[in-house]
Order: sequence, then structure tokens, then C-alpha cells
Amino acid sequence: MVITFRGALAGLAASGGLMAVFAGSPYLARRGQIDVDALASAVAREEDHVTAVELARWIRDRRPGLRVVDLQSDADFVAYHIPGAEHIPLQSLASAPFRATDTLVLYSAGGAHAAQGWVFLQALGYRQVYFLRGGVREWLDEVMSPTLQANASPEAVAAFQKIASLSRYFGGVPRIGDRQNERAAPESREATLPPPSQHATAAEIRRRGC
Amino acid sequence: MTILVTAPLFELGLLGHTASLAVAVAIGVAFGWSLERAGLGSAPKLAGQFYLTDFTVFKVMFSAIVVAMLGAFWLGRLGILDLSRVYVPETFLLPQLIGGAVFGAGFVMAGLCPGTSCVAAVTGRGDGAAVMIGMFGGVLVTGLAFGTLERFYESTGRGSLTLPELFHVPYGVVVCGIVAMALAAFRGVEWLERRG
Repeated sequence: MVITFRGALAGLAASGGLMAVFAGSPYLARRGQIDVDALASAVAREEDHVTAVELARWIRDRRPGLRVVDLQSDADFVAYHIPGAEHIPLQSLASAPFRATDTLVLYSAGGAHAAQGWVFLQALGYRQVYFLRGGVREWLDEVMSPTLQANASPEAVAAFQKIASLSRYFGGVPRIGDRQNERAAPESREATLPPPSQHATAAEIRRRGC
Repeated sequence: MTILVTAPLFELGLLGHTASLAVAVAIGVAFGWSLERAGLGSAPKLAGQFYLTDFTVFKVMFSAIVVAMLGAFWLGRLGILDLSRVYVPETFLLPQLIGGAVFGAGFVMAGLCPGTSCVAAVTGRGDGAAVMIGMFGGVLVTGLAFGTLERFYESTGRGSLTLPELFHVPYGVVVCGIVAMALAAFRGVEWLERRG
């Protein structure tokens, strides 16, 4: 069989094309693309974040595909993290093995890193990404120790009772009254106190701020 | 084994402005020479493309695309070329569709496109020179009228699109698909040429 020059070139091109399928990405780093208008619209419609209470409901209700991503430092993650969260540093976020169908919720100590991570993941094409705007502090204040003002309206009381139930699910301590004169909301206070070490850690994080 | 990233040369500061222009001139001359040797300085030959009797333009251009694509992919994969620093022109859907139609109409009428008109002019063909004068005249008029055209020129922007991003398929699959398409098309047009 005689191989012509054109046949050899065609074979070379075919080999290069076939091997390309299995060669992986030719980019040296993960490359994203940002649709600035779409991101700005999502931010304006407040579709970029979840509240701590919403996140708590998603975790409690075992929302399919939910992955809670903790972007805090190693030490802060060890000190306190939201139940079920996986620790992924911001610089490793782009290479994390997420699926397109996952619902990703990012949080950090304050919220800035989580917002930045949201942009990174949007740029990489993930669409079901949210961040916890107030970070761990919001989680601690709104879920782990929600507080009802002493002179709250009946509607506020009704809403608080739902949040209080959610809070107890996570071992939180709902409180009634202002910060100075607060007391634990009735309903099995002893059973709902978080372990002393976790409570101390949470208090430490709250003092430290973001 | 670590391979040093060495390209794009200008982007990475390995070539200055003057050297880059010198390289561009050299590449331009080589490209023109290749077009001329392929016979693409002749308007009747190019017109044969539109009558489906001569597919030289198709074969030369599609071969160039496949060679450049495979080169860019494998140089990127081997770590020699940083593809993220290669400029991808932005897509402006409507202006580019209309621009493409104007370009195509000019191509059919003149029998030459910008590159081949330069080749034709350099080899002493009058039609090539006429097309070049028309081309630069068009560039001048567009430049002078740009203020009026600007809004349309920048409408329906879609950003820097690439096929892998547009179709959400891996880069290598797109490369393989285009190579397969090219090889099948080459075989098809040769069959058409033999019949015609």
C-alpha cells in the first residue's frame, strides 16, 4: 500500500483530532467568562444570596444537591462551621469537583470572600450558586441565637416561633428580650443548649467579627 | 518535565513592538506567497468557488484553519502557548452578519477577497489593484462615518465566544469534530471536482 503525502497529512490531522478528545483542556488555568449584565441583574433581584434562615431550612429539609461550602481559614473552620459544610479554601474553589446540578451555598466569616467566590463560580458556568450575605455571624445571630424583642407584635411572635423551632433543630438557643435582659425562650431549654465548647467558640467568633 | 510557557511572544514580553511588526510582515509575506502558489491571485479561479467548479479557496482556507487549530490546541496542551492570553475577537451578531453579507457580495463581484486582492495586485493584475483601492476606500468611508455607525457597530454584543463555551462541550471534542468535518468536506469536494 502506497501512502501519499496528502494521505499522510490527513492521517496526521485525524490523529491530532482524535487524541485531542482525550487530552484534556489546553488552557493552563481554569478560564471563566462573565456576563456582567446577567450578574448585575441577579444581584439587583437579590437572587445571588440566601439568608441564614433560608439556608437552615434547606439543610433541615435536605434539599437535593445542596452543598454548603465554607471558605473560612482552616482555624476558623475547625473552631466553628455550619453543620454539614465542606471546607474549601477560596483559591481551590475553581478546581473543586462540583456538578452543574448542585445547589452551592458559599459562606465565609463575614461575607466578602463568599461574594467573590460567587462571582468565580458564575464565571465558570455554575448557575445555582448563592452566598450567605452576612457570613457566619448571620448564621450565629439568626439561627443559633435568634432573639425576639420583648414588645414584639403577634406577627413577629408567630414568625419567631417558626425560627425558634428551626434554631432548636441545629442546637441553637432562641431568646426573648433585649440583649441585656434576654432569657431563653420556653420549651426545653436544657435540651437545646449547644455543647459548651461550641457555644464558647460561637461567642468568640461573634466577638472577633469579620 | 516542565515546559516553559513562551507564547504568545508579544504578550509575554519576549518580542518588542518593532520585532513583532517585523514578524507580522514576514508571516504576511509567507501567507501571500502561499496564496499565490495555490493560484489564489487569479479572480477566475476564486470565482470557480461560487460556481462549484474549483474548490481551491475552500481547501486552502479550511486546511489553514485545521493546521492553526491543531497547533493552538496542542501547543496549549503542552504548556508552550498560554491560550488565555490569545485575543478572541468579540461577537456582535447583527453588525457581523450584515458585514459578512457585504463582504460576500464584494467577494462574488470582484472575484477576490482582501488577502487575495493584495496577491493579485502584487503579481501585476489590474483587477487586484482595483479591489485594493475599493477596499481602502471602503475602510476610509467607514472610518469617517464611524460616529454615525457606532451605535449599530456595537449592537447585539455577545462577548468573546468560543465554540466549546457556546456548546458546552470540551475543547478537544470541538477540535476532533472540526477535523472530521474538514476531512469529510475535502473528500466531498474532490468528488464534486472530479464530476464537474
